[in-house]
Amino acid sequence: MIRVENLVKIYGHGEAAVKALDNVTLEIKGGEFVAVMGPSGSGKSTFLSVLGCLERPTAGKYYFGGREVTSLNEDELAALRNQQIGFVFQTFNLLPRFNVLRNVELPLIYAGIPQKKRRERATALLSRVGLGHRLDYKPANISGGEQQRVAIARALVNDPAVILADEPTGSLDSRRSHEIMALFRELNAEGRTIVMVTHDPEIAAYAQRILHFLDGAVVREEVAS
Amino acid sequence: MRIEDLARLTIENLLAHRLRTLLTTLGITIGIAAVIAVVAIGQGGQAVLLADIERMGSSRAFNISVDVQRGEAPVTGTFTMTDVTIIKELSQAVDKLAPTTSGMFVSIRRSGERGKPVYCQLAGTTPDMTAVMNLPLASGRFFSEGDVAGRRRVAVLEGGLAQTLFPDGNALGKEVFIQDTPVTVIGVTEKQPSQIFGAMGMTKYAFVPITLAQEILNTRVIHELHGTAVSEAAVPQAIADSVKILQHRHPGSNVHYKGMSMKEAVALFGKVTGIMTLIIGSVAAIALVVGGVGVMNIMLVAVTERTREIGLLKALGARRADILRQFLAEAVALCLVGGFFGVLLGAGGAYAIAHFAHWPPLISVWTVLLAFGFSAVVGLFFGLYPASRAAALSPAEALRQY
Repeated sequence: MIRVENLVKIYGHGEAAVKALDNVTLEIKGGEFVAVMGPSGSGKSTFLSVLGCLERPTAGKYYFGGREVTSLNEDELAALRNQQIGFVFQTFNLLPRFNVLRNVELPLIYAGIPQKKRRERATALLSRVGLGHRLDYKPANISGGEQQRVAIARALVNDPAVILADEPTGSLDSRRSHEIMALFRELNAEGRTIVMVTHDPEIAAYAQRILHFLDGAVVREEVAS
Repeated sequence: MRIEDLARLTIENLLAHRLRTLLTTLGITIGIAAVIAVVAIGQGGQAVLLADIERMGSSRAFNISVDVQRGEAPVTGTFTMTDVTIIKELSQAVDKLAPTTSGMFVSIRRSGERGKPVYCQLAGTTPDMTAVMNLPLASGRFFSEGDVAGRRRVAVLEGGLAQTLFPDGNALGKEVFIQDTPVTVIGVTEKQPSQIFGAMGMTKYAFVPITLAQEILNTRVIHELHGTAVSEAAVPQAIADSVKILQHRHPGSNVHYKGMSMKEAVALFGKVTGIMTLIIGSVAAIALVVGGVGVMNIMLVAVTERTREIGLLKALGARRADILRQFLAEAVALCLVGGFFGVLLGAGGAYAIAHFAHWPPLISVWTVLLAFGFSAVVGLFFGLYPASRAAALSPAEALRQY
């Protein structure tokens, strides 16, 4: 599903240059649930950004579902993000002025899907994450765990093959965190590939494989029993 | 992205900051209102002015003068009474022709009363003048050829002037002093309805036989010839004939005879007032530019504030063009809403001023469409830079912003 070869990402120029990714080569198979761990500054978030086509690598190759992503133009990348990738963030990133339903509809708006169909799909997904009764709420009026469920519904709304999650439980208490992880397991069981950045070993334990980053490179790999 | 979704997002985004939207819109409203009001008032004033000029004289009227643009002035002998007679006889196109010797700021006062002279415009002419200018008489009669030939001390006063001199009653038959010459009022015209010329005191005419005017003003110069052609179509011919005859009769003259038709004079006035409207309109347009800069400013603030949101939307699949369109649509919407209220306010202002100034407010569909088009262009122009900045943001970097 995902293959990167000699991936390098350098921020800045000359003296101030920082090598965030240093020759990363690895493969993530379709249907895998992978956790990415490492201290801050180890390059794990940059790795996720590059996987999500949010930024381009400085060097190296990136194949997504067999396609060479580095050669795609901006619009093709946008379409890829829209159709193939679902993002889940630590701070949820819901738009506060829109209600829950409309937040989930957003990716469908950019996919050009008419309102009636959007409504149906967003409502179905919100029901699935247990928020069918909160459609009209503004994000500020629901709990953090609920907000993250809304974000997950939004990530799923275009039925993507891959879910990329950056510290999805970082803003949640332990109970909510485990609830979210249970949901991730469910999604993974459906065959969705999940790549999740976390610093919490307990959360990482939900994954099948754990990649340990240090100074921009994968220094250790664990396979869960 | 569908157009209806773009429209809905735009409205939602603008309503998210109501006060800000209102204030930004207000800038455009004031700009558009200023432009609309100024143009409408200018066009209304122009229409009144042109109507005034047209009402003052015949459409067949023309005048013959020297080339004032070259700084020429008529002297004794430039025009003669004989010239007038010969032109009238020789030219088929010329109907009437009145020589004039005129003086501005000539004092006139009632006899037997000390002080309180008023200024008038002394127009020494012949009875032919009644065909050139609209001079309906309220009472009495205009002076005759005999009065001219006999240099009789008679005068016809414009209604407004007569009222100023004789506020308590009929001026007819009374004696007035023009400079120090006693003159009998034999006629009073109706008050000139002109607002603009009236306000400038330019309608306070005292008509006297040209011979008398030359005596009062102590000159023998005839300043101009005023005439009418036999028809409107014959005006250019009448002018050409008159100039030709004058040139022929004054071969040694060092002035250039020039004629101008009433129509040309009206057109000239129209052009001058049109330029005035344009200049004042341009000044008003500065207000619109200031409003546009306000829109640009607020859009730049919005881009900075919503950087993270832009990053998120890009992560969710928004293309550059989607983001560009979104911010452009918001800028244009601000301007169009501002433009709408600006048209209302500007039209209201123009109507109010027109009402007090007693002239027709002229707000054409074109002015309104132009104002709307212009506000849309202002939105596009001032929205383009912020919008392209938003569209160019890297999603990863934008998402890192707080």
